[in-house]
Amino acid sequence: MNEENLSILALITNASVLVQLVMATLFIMSVLSWIMIVQRALFLNGAQRSFRDFEDTFWSGVDLNILYHDLTDRAKEEGAGDGIENVFRAGFREFNRLAQTDKADPEAVMEGTDRAMRVALSREEEKLSTNLPFLASVASVSPYIGLFGTVWGIMNSFRGLAMVQQATLATVAPGISEALIATAMGLFAAIPAVIAYNRYAAQVEVINGNYDTFSDEFSSILHRQVHSR
Amino acid sequence: MSNFLSYASAILVSIAVHVLVVGALLVNWQPESKRVMIQPQFIEAKLVELAPKKKPVVKKPAAKKPAKPKVDQAKKKREADRRRAAEKKKAAALKAKKDKELKAKELEEKRLAELERQRVATEFAETLEQEQAQLNAQEEDRIANSFRQLIQQRLSENWSRPPSARRDMEAVIRIRLVPTGRVVGVTILQSSGDIAFDRSVEQAAFKAEQFVELQKMDAGLFERRFRQVDVAFSPQDLRL
Repeated sequence: MNEENLSILALITNASVLVQLVMATLFIMSVLSWIMIVQRALFLNGAQRSFRDFEDTFWSGVDLNILYHDLTDRAKEEGAGDGIENVFRAGFREFNRLAQTDKADPEAVMEGTDRAMRVALSREEEKLSTNLPFLASVASVSPYIGLFGTVWGIMNSFRGLAMVQQATLATVAPGISEALIATAMGLFAAIPAVIAYNRYAAQVEVINGNYDTFSDEFSSILHRQVHSR
Repeated sequence: MSNFLSYASAILVSIAVHVLVVGALLVNWQPESKRVMIQPQFIEAKLVELAPKKKPVVKKPAAKKPAKPKVDQAKKKREADRRRAAEKKKAAALKAKKDKELKAKELEEKRLAELERQRVATEFAETLEQEQAQLNAQEEDRIANSFRQLIQQRLSENWSRPPSARRDMEAVIRIRLVPTGRVVGVTILQSSGDIAFDRSVEQAAFKAEQFVELQKMDAGLFERRFRQVDVAFSPQDLRL
């Protein structure tokens, strides 16, 4: 018993099948959640940056027609465009189409434009918050999974203890240590996921607010244009 | 396109993080695990029998006895020889006359020898019997010891020493048992001088509650040896 190798690897390989399964699940969850974390970080930062760039060009006084064509060309090159550009394009396209019909009622034009922008906006919001539910569930579930593995492992080690005549700490300690690895892994998976989820949820909120503000501003510009004719 | 790129880099980073963490754990844990495991301290309770054992004393005479008759025999034989020689001299002197007497003497001689043999035989049988009794006593000792060891082990398992326990302390208690093995009474014969220590010793006996194995014991042996058991407790593994 005393010569037993207590390295973390030995503890994991000596664990019971169920505990090993729990550990494997947690490991996979941790890997996946880290993938989400990094991907979301890149995506959200990109979205924020592109929003700032777009706002700069938008308010620089450029002709909206030119801007629209530029963005459409770029979107065709890259496949789907991203973020706020899509909202702008959707709104502007709808506005142009409706305004070109001569008997267009200004109210109807604005209504259609707003609707088109709202659709694009909700699509963008959806894109922003993909994978966040996964992070949330990893954050809340993995400690429980780890705890389950630990309870199971400790249960087994106590059951083994009951068979022993002279019960010493050394007879239970390896089992408990091995069981506790599951909890450690659960926490290891959960903590970054919790932090990331909170951070990204806040970030998504901010970006959504930005998009909303922009679409309102844009619609007020269009409104002015419609009624000044 | 950019989406795919961001996923690829995310996967790379994630795997790198996990490899790093696992590697760090594996590297860091190895030296720690090489620490010597400290053996748990065992509590030792020693059983002492206050009544002095008399058996070894009984043993000695029993061992000597078989030798004694031999000496007797030799002496008797020598005597007989001497007597026979005298007889021969007499016979030589009074050959014809003492023929009858000689025969009678020989008969007498035989009778004596027979008696002697009988005496030796009974003595031998006695010794055998004694030896058998001694063997039985040894067997009983052995069984009693095994039970006593069991009691000792159970008590030491149940004994939790108070922090005030010191190595030179010793408390002797007398445990009264009934044939079911249940502990019905505990008295302190010799206090250690520390109340907490005495109480812990008493508690150990009460916690043991019942020595179920004693039920399997021969009733006579129980009455002789286990009605009352005296146990001395002294912590011998403490440093203080």
